[in-house]
Amino acid sequence: MDAFNGLMSGFQVAFSLQGILFVFIGVFVGTFIGMMPGLGPISAIAIMIPITYSMDPTVALVMMAGVYYGAIFGGSSSSILLNAPGVAGTVATAFDGYPMAQQGKAGKALAIAAIASFTGGTVSVILLMLFTPILSAVAVSFGPAEYFALMFLGLTAISSLSDGSTIKAFISATLGFMVVTIGIDSQTGTSRFTFGNPNLLEGIDFLVIALGLFALAEVSTLVLNRKDTTMNDNKDLGSLRISKEDFKEMSGPMTRQSFLGFLIGVLPGAGATIASFIAYITEKKLAKKPEEFGKGSIKGLAAPETANNAATGGAFVPLLSLGIPGSGTTAVLLGAFLVLGVQPGPLLIQDRPEVFWGIIASMYVGNIFLLILNLPLIPYIAKVLRIPRPLLISLVIIFSLIGVYAISFNTFDLYMLVVFGIIGFLMRMFSFPAAPFILAFILGGMMEQAFRQTLTISNGSLAIFLDKPIALTLIVVSLLTILVPLYTGRRKLKVNNEDHTGKTL
Amino acid sequence: MLVRINQKLAVVLAVLAGVYLFLSFNLPKYQNAIIDADMVPKGLGVLLLFFAVLLYFDKKEETEAEKKKRTMTRGNVLILLAVLAFILIYIFLLEMVGFLIMTALFIFGCSLFLGYRKHVSNAIVSIVFSLVIYGLFNYLLKINLPAGIIPL
Repeated sequence: MDAFNGLMSGFQVAFSLQGILFVFIGVFVGTFIGMMPGLGPISAIAIMIPITYSMDPTVALVMMAGVYYGAIFGGSSSSILLNAPGVAGTVATAFDGYPMAQQGKAGKALAIAAIASFTGGTVSVILLMLFTPILSAVAVSFGPAEYFALMFLGLTAISSLSDGSTIKAFISATLGFMVVTIGIDSQTGTSRFTFGNPNLLEGIDFLVIALGLFALAEVSTLVLNRKDTTMNDNKDLGSLRISKEDFKEMSGPMTRQSFLGFLIGVLPGAGATIASFIAYITEKKLAKKPEEFGKGSIKGLAAPETANNAATGGAFVPLLSLGIPGSGTTAVLLGAFLVLGVQPGPLLIQDRPEVFWGIIASMYVGNIFLLILNLPLIPYIAKVLRIPRPLLISLVIIFSLIGVYAISFNTFDLYMLVVFGIIGFLMRMFSFPAAPFILAFILGGMMEQAFRQTLTISNGSLAIFLDKPIALTLIVVSLLTILVPLYTGRRKLKVNNEDHTGKTL
Repeated sequence: MLVRINQKLAVVLAVLAGVYLFLSFNLPKYQNAIIDADMVPKGLGVLLLFFAVLLYFDKKEETEAEKKKRTMTRGNVLILLAVLAFILIYIFLLEMVGFLIMTALFIFGCSLFLGYRKHVSNAIVSIVFSLVIYGLFNYLLKINLPAGIIPL
């Protein structure tokens, strides 16, 4: 099927009554959850997974994609209105969005954000549509060695790019990988680390990890901040109108950042967060009046908003074409695919064209929905933020518990969920990033299998990686992403120490 | 010896790596496999040990924000433990008492405990929410949540 016919059949899915309804539900729920401070796209997707169990996979995935970019947009609304980003990817949005809201131009800021998101989202869907089939065609020839190398790169990249201590990020990834070794080994049938507990034989379900590490851990943060009353402010939003001059000012950053954001989104490990910061910095450098940045600059708001949505589209490229998620959020999304029995990868376009093109077409529709939904409904959506925290906390806990119970019908998994909630909370407390953990958990099983297949082909010799140029290059790059930050971190420290001693002398 | 918080964490992680490695070395062997099930776990154990050592010798000072994140008042710790207890009770009784009653009780009780004082709206939300979710799962999605003592 060529791209045009494919897209047309995709639009048939997207424009069916069911398609439109579920894209709408997805975008709406995503926006809603994304607006809650502390709840991000990972929680949003994980909470929605149980709802999809008995749904048609295409419709379900179309809805999930909607949840994803809806959550990113929802995050920017709370960034602008409250200076409380719901998602890391919208932190940069608050830099200029919140000052604008304080100047009584909240409505205008939200409108700019909506238009910038729409542009970034739409451009990236077009690029996604063009790039994914090409990458899929290349990836068909990949063997286990290349796959192992690719996943290894994804894992090292996310660890070295996550904020805070790089060592802690690698520890987090290693722990995630260890958790996935629990259960029956798929190749030899050996049961590993199950301690004779039959409930552990099938391993720990990824939803237990996703909901525990993210939703429940986020809940405990909400519990600690439950007295925060910033949400009760009922500010006047002001007019939503954007003048022609404003639009002219936005158009530069929007065009540039749509492309840049998409590219950054495609890269493993880098996602909406990094894209939005890079967008903010580059536009500040390019701007004629950089001093306006941080004080309510239109450019400063449009740039990160365009980029984080464009990156969201970019992140779908490796997911759909290689079946390898590049970020924590797409890792959870991959889990959602697998729950529905759809294996993303180079064969997706051939085997399940209706799923592939359905998702792409629905993203066009979803972006339009976001615009329609958000512009006129903004004042009402803002009221969502006034749900009392205690009630919100109870509801999120219940959602997480139901989500796990509905896949296993087993209270053992609920206790495991609580255990991972506690682990997630401790990780937050001691500043271990959780995204590498979940990505390692999702990739771990596939990586181990690919690695052992590779070594079985070579009869146990690691030299096989030297014969495969693509795999070798990827592994070398991965090792660099581990070693460079460790080395520069150490050197910076040395320099700092010397400075310090220099001053005291 | 354990001055920095990271050093304490490193020791905990090293112990964890040790236990994991011990278990990995005791995994049953499978005769015909070229690459057996214990290879990757052994590698992971060594890797964790390596990173734990790095963390132990990492001289980076904790930032103020990081320090603030891990300091909690006694009151907050107790509240978190209480919420945890609520969750455990919910899980324990879920299959016996049933989804509807337990969920309504949990939402009402937990919200009340966390300081939500509008009792009427709390009661309405907890009952309506439980009913809607129960209906959604049992009748629309055909996923049966435990009915418990109410035969619905």
